[in-house]
Amino acid sequence: MIVFAALAVLAGALVSLSRQINGRLALSTSAMESSFWNHIVGLAFITAAALLFGGLFAGDPLAAPWWAWLGGPVGVVFIAAGSWLIPRIGAAQTAMLIIAGQMISGVLLDLIMGAPGNPLARITGVALIFAGMYVGQPAKAVASKQT
Amino acid sequence: MSANVPRLYHFAAAFGAGGLLTLMVLFNGTLAVHGSLFFASWVPHLTGTFAALLLLLILRPKRVSATRPPLWAYLGGVSGGITVMLTSATMNTALALSGTIALGLAGQVLFSLFADMRGLFGLPKRMPSARDYGALALILLGSVILIFFGRSA
Repeated sequence: MIVFAALAVLAGALVSLSRQINGRLALSTSAMESSFWNHIVGLAFITAAALLFGGLFAGDPLAAPWWAWLGGPVGVVFIAAGSWLIPRIGAAQTAMLIIAGQMISGVLLDLIMGAPGNPLARITGVALIFAGMYVGQPAKAVASKQT
Repeated sequence: MSANVPRLYHFAAAFGAGGLLTLMVLFNGTLAVHGSLFFASWVPHLTGTFAALLLLLILRPKRVSATRPPLWAYLGGVSGGITVMLTSATMNTALALSGTIALGLAGQVLFSLFADMRGLFGLPKRMPSARDYGALALILLGSVILIFFGRSA
């Protein structure tokens, strides 16, 4: 159990590691070029791993709805955004705000799709996240640095 | 080198990127319901490669620097690929999806704080302020509540 917990933490750390490395590439090239390399290198890696472990085409992926195939282009913009942001506002603020955006849009999506959920927990969670964003907002930082 | 002063539009962009992530999780997750986890990561990388190439050809962004980046800077995608495998390994244990996500958030935040303090991989060094820690704590607390209590199973 503790091993799996450690692996889950490691998986998160690797997300930030990836963003850090892509951000470094964007510093020399551009955010979009960094996103391109992230995708093509990731593709090569996953293809190699799938060949090694097998089962790439298991199941019935063609039964998936058409919109389920659109993750790629969205990911391109997402990775480019991360690569652009991380040298500008830092890794911690980038991670923090992406998490905030993910959580709040997740609640929104659940509401749209009518997913069952606890309203009190949703309100508390969203309120805490907005409070965190208010505390960390850059307007204060800019003002304090200019005075 | 020193980091730029964060602006509100940076904040808005990062927040919006989080919204894109929700869409990605929805799209790729739906693909994984019908196909394998490998497939659900392989397809977006394949279509993403072509989409990025197309955008590069249309936008033709200028290279920031004439000097070549170090070779390791091209390996960000490997780290992302390993993430997919680790997540698929832990998701089916007692941690479940919610535990995997929550611990993943902890890993992201801890690593990024450390990366900022040390200026890892040649990015600007910056010491997180007390306000940053306060904001992080509130956002993580809110996220954990949403992850564990926001959805009734």
